[in-house]
Amino acid sequence: MTVIESQTPSRTNSPLPRAVITLVLIAVGFFLPRLLGGTSVAYSTLTTIAIFAVMCYGVDIVLSYLGEVSLGHTLFWAIGGYTAANLSVKYGLDGWTTALATIAFCLAAALFLGAVTLRTREFVFSLVTYAAAVVAYEVAFNWDAIGGSDGIVGIAALKLPLGVATFSGASQEDLWPVAFALLLLTLAFIARFRRSRLGTTALMVQMNPALAASLGVDPRKVRLAVFVISAPITGLAGWLYAYQRAYVGPDMFESYFLVMMLTAVVLIGRRILVGPLIGTALLIAQQNLLSLGGDWNKIILGSVLAIVLIFWPTGLAGLFRRFSKSKF
Amino acid sequence: MNVAQQIINGLVLGSGYACIALGWTILLGVARLVNFAHGQLYMLGAFVTWFAIAKIGLPYPVAILAAMIVLALLGALMQTAMMRLVMTQNLTSLMIVTLGLGYVLQGGSALLFGGNPQTLPGTLARAKVDLGPLWFTWQDVLVLAVTLALYGVVWLFTQKTRYGSVIRAVAEDPKLAELFGVNARVVYLLVFVFECSAVALGAALVAPRSPILTSMGFNEVIMTFVVVVLGGIGSIGGALLAGLGLGLFTAFFGAFVAPAYTTAAAFALLLALLVIRPAGLATK
Repeated sequence: MTVIESQTPSRTNSPLPRAVITLVLIAVGFFLPRLLGGTSVAYSTLTTIAIFAVMCYGVDIVLSYLGEVSLGHTLFWAIGGYTAANLSVKYGLDGWTTALATIAFCLAAALFLGAVTLRTREFVFSLVTYAAAVVAYEVAFNWDAIGGSDGIVGIAALKLPLGVATFSGASQEDLWPVAFALLLLTLAFIARFRRSRLGTTALMVQMNPALAASLGVDPRKVRLAVFVISAPITGLAGWLYAYQRAYVGPDMFESYFLVMMLTAVVLIGRRILVGPLIGTALLIAQQNLLSLGGDWNKIILGSVLAIVLIFWPTGLAGLFRRFSKSKF
Repeated sequence: MNVAQQIINGLVLGSGYACIALGWTILLGVARLVNFAHGQLYMLGAFVTWFAIAKIGLPYPVAILAAMIVLALLGALMQTAMMRLVMTQNLTSLMIVTLGLGYVLQGGSALLFGGNPQTLPGTLARAKVDLGPLWFTWQDVLVLAVTLALYGVVWLFTQKTRYGSVIRAVAEDPKLAELFGVNARVVYLLVFVFECSAVALGAALVAPRSPILTSMGFNEVIMTFVVVVLGGIGSIGGALLAGLGLGLFTAFFGAFVAPAYTTAAAFALLLALLVIRPAGLATK
């Protein structure tokens, strides 16, 4: 799995057309639900895709750039959901406050887990993150003060006071701009991360550990830093998911979300900026529009994950590249 | 709630943990591979046993054998599919692939066996033994005896025989081992097949104690993680001790502190250990 994505030449050359293309894509993206008919199904499906894509980007940072597997991101996903639900239902706090609290809790949880596993081997890190999610499930299931086995129902609509006006996301159509904005912010963050010192160092640790060591990089500290910044991304997705469903419960820990995150990242190919977004869109489209029932959907999702990694480790993008090369 | 009964409960729980963790210990310690489908394989082993007893009408010992054979075949299939990743020692991808395959097994089992909880009939789980105020079942005795015997045999096999050293040589450096005429693929295949039948045996012995569900998956065997890491990755004696110790800890914590949070407590124990001794208890 040591294939570095080669930058396509057209991407780096001219900055102005690139900015224009990006703006056009953003505009098209924003009006996409209306272009697809403007029905509530279009809005809710696209909102779900945006939320799930953000969820996947948390795992993407760790898996693509660090090359390690976090199996505990359902924990951050649930932290976001539970924070939004508890603070808004019990204390009537607005969306900004619950979002800030989500970020704070996710950073704290990731810092704790990362620090505890700092001196262990890589797969112990995966084991412990997975175990952490299972344990958190047990706690969420048994602790009635934060919802218990029934969860929390009746979360009020998302309220985001913006100076004089207050944004209120009561319906799926109202939530779409928030989900879209969160997705754009996440994409901008990932794009920035890819060029940052931490991002390039993480990639170096993954691709050439010997070089990294000779430059005095401690791979464990890099792992901790990347893990910690990845947590609030998935957490914020869970935060918005709570408002979208108006309910949170222990089902946020289901392995579905974990398998979904990993599949969306590897399906298109790792280290591709829009890869997880396209992967999420394809998978959600299958589950929502071409569903074969819960058990068959599980078989499909799990098989996609296993088959892609076994046969096309560079994902559909790598397959496409190989295919288009062989023609010339 | 007396202490002697809790010690018995602890040994009962602990031998179950150790029994289920044996396959993982061998896979991780001897072949340096991981398998995140372990929980679903446990579930499948339990359901194949249940199916053989309740639907086909086989006696319990034959049903155990059937479960071991079915899981061994499945293991061979899985390992053959993953062979390229195994030979390149791509642990990252192996973790994710096995997780995906586990999810497939979960969906497939729900289709095959239905979504209802089942209990295994015809086992020794109801054969109660009373010793004054203390009690346990013959099933518990069976689990403990088989676990101790298995750990003994596996320890002798891996540490004292030529085959054991061949397996360890492959784990150390598959390419180098192949230069010496060892077929690393076959060794990996056999170790993985062993893991799958070991977990089937563990499931057939341990699962009769409680109702089984196709969705139980990894939550059921989260203790396997704790046992394997506590015991010091791959140490056979360490895993047995960690399993029994964890069983005692769980029994006492459940009886005297809070039964709902035993897994959380075991996890807290694991985290504390990782800080104090990152390589596990067995290492010096």
